[in-house]
Amino acid sequence: MSTAQAAAPARSTDFVTQLSQGFKNLPMWAQTTVNSIFGMTILLVLWWIGGVLIQSNPDTEAFADFAPGPALSALWSLLGTEFLWDTIVSSLERILLGLFWGIVIGVPLGVLMGYFLAMRQLANMPFQFLRMISPLAWMPIAVLAFETWDGAIVFLIVMATVWPIVFGTAHGVQRIDPNWFRVAKNLGADGYQMLRRVIMPAIAQDVFAGIRLAVGVAWVVLVPAEYLGVTSGLGYAINDARDTLAYDTLAAMVVVIGVIGYLLDAIAVFLIKRYSWHAE
Amino acid sequence: MSSNIWISDITHYYNKKQTSPTLDDINLTIPQGQLTALIGRSGCGKSTLLQMIAGLLIPTEGAVRISGHTVTKPSAKWNMMFQKPSLYPWMTVRENAALGLVFAGTYKQKKERVEELLDMVGLADHKDKNVQQLSGGQQQRVALARSLATEPDVLLLDEPFSALDAFTRSALQTEVAQICHDYGITMVLVTHDIEEAVAMADNVVIMNHNPGRIVGSMEVPLAYPRDRGTEEFGELKDYLFAEFEKIDQAKQAELAALEAQKDIQQTQQALAS
Repeated sequence: MSTAQAAAPARSTDFVTQLSQGFKNLPMWAQTTVNSIFGMTILLVLWWIGGVLIQSNPDTEAFADFAPGPALSALWSLLGTEFLWDTIVSSLERILLGLFWGIVIGVPLGVLMGYFLAMRQLANMPFQFLRMISPLAWMPIAVLAFETWDGAIVFLIVMATVWPIVFGTAHGVQRIDPNWFRVAKNLGADGYQMLRRVIMPAIAQDVFAGIRLAVGVAWVVLVPAEYLGVTSGLGYAINDARDTLAYDTLAAMVVVIGVIGYLLDAIAVFLIKRYSWHAE
Repeated sequence: MSSNIWISDITHYYNKKQTSPTLDDINLTIPQGQLTALIGRSGCGKSTLLQMIAGLLIPTEGAVRISGHTVTKPSAKWNMMFQKPSLYPWMTVRENAALGLVFAGTYKQKKERVEELLDMVGLADHKDKNVQQLSGGQQQRVALARSLATEPDVLLLDEPFSALDAFTRSALQTEVAQICHDYGITMVLVTHDIEEAVAMADNVVIMNHNPGRIVGSMEVPLAYPRDRGTEEFGELKDYLFAEFEKIDQAKQAELAALEAQKDIQQTQQALAS
């Protein structure tokens, strides 16, 4: 009798160790998937608890549509609509345009900074200073300087994206082994070949790492920037939903912003991995 | 095709403040297909001289001519191998070896050559690997294949084996000397390793520092491949070592004399004031 009682808990711990051992034996991608789903579930549960709390409080009852149920069903009905896709497309257009100019300005500046010490000394302080200014703080100036709201928003995105790209590129150029230049010259490389075969592949992953940071900041800045003036985009959609008290749509838009942000980051991560040359 | 190298009246200062030149009145002719070793202590200007032959550095005075052409810039025809293999880590072994041909725009016609060279240097099974997966010796073999791919007339070696372990080092010394010999490539090797010089070169040139000068030379009349165990090899090595030491002691004495002179001058000055 007593032996059976002692054996029972021992068996249950056995089961737990076996389970965790079995999980560790799964392939890495399976472990990652399981843990990711688990993490998202926690987030969903917290959201749901928040919804319940809002609903049960008479002061906040009116906002009950923030809860996952109404939000996700609003998202479902939005999915087929042209409105949602137009909204996403106009936001993406602004992001890509801002990112484009950020790269066009940031990469050459970064190359100069990485290559010339004097340039680095010259630019480091002012750039670090400018980098720390919230891109949104440029709003009044942007509105004055640009004729269209779209232009102003793209300017704000550029102010957000250019710094990480500059510093990422400069870091990449500084890491180039000077012997790579010597060897390439010795093998008869001309200027263009040096750029194409040596410099660009050498710095690619650092540039993409900068772009990844830039995308993150830009996406965060975009939504508040779209609160102003424009009549399209995710920021506008959120503001509009608030004004029409459509809290379920508002929450659905927040989900959309999160999903697209995640996808943009995943693309950047893919590019970094694709152009990384460090041995595993 | 191989070529002779003429080095005429080279004097070089890295900056104007130098009291004695890095290289002082260097004259040297290296006949076509000969394997020459430049040996000396660090700071004797042997690497500087090699960089000038490669066209990576222009001398203050004098000139280097290869087959009658004055060297003014690097060329794949006179190729240099460095101490570090400096391979490009984003490329495979094959891509690294082919790079000189890619730069010249002739890789498509000469693909076979790259394959043959990689087979020859013993990397037949590693062609598609990333170079970071290779050992130090294998990496230096890729660098060798890369240098040979462009069919250079002259191969310049700047202590290319000094970072390798002893076994790999002596294997590569033997192989590279044999390859240069077989293909009639004019080779110039910079080293401070006396055994390496005797193992690889037809002619050893001894340099001294401060100022950098050529102070002696020795023929190595041994056939390739060389057996390091023979008495003759040992004798040549000992002779070279003794020669080296003699020159070194003379230099020390000279420097000591200079010091003494300076001391005397200072004492005289002190007494005068």
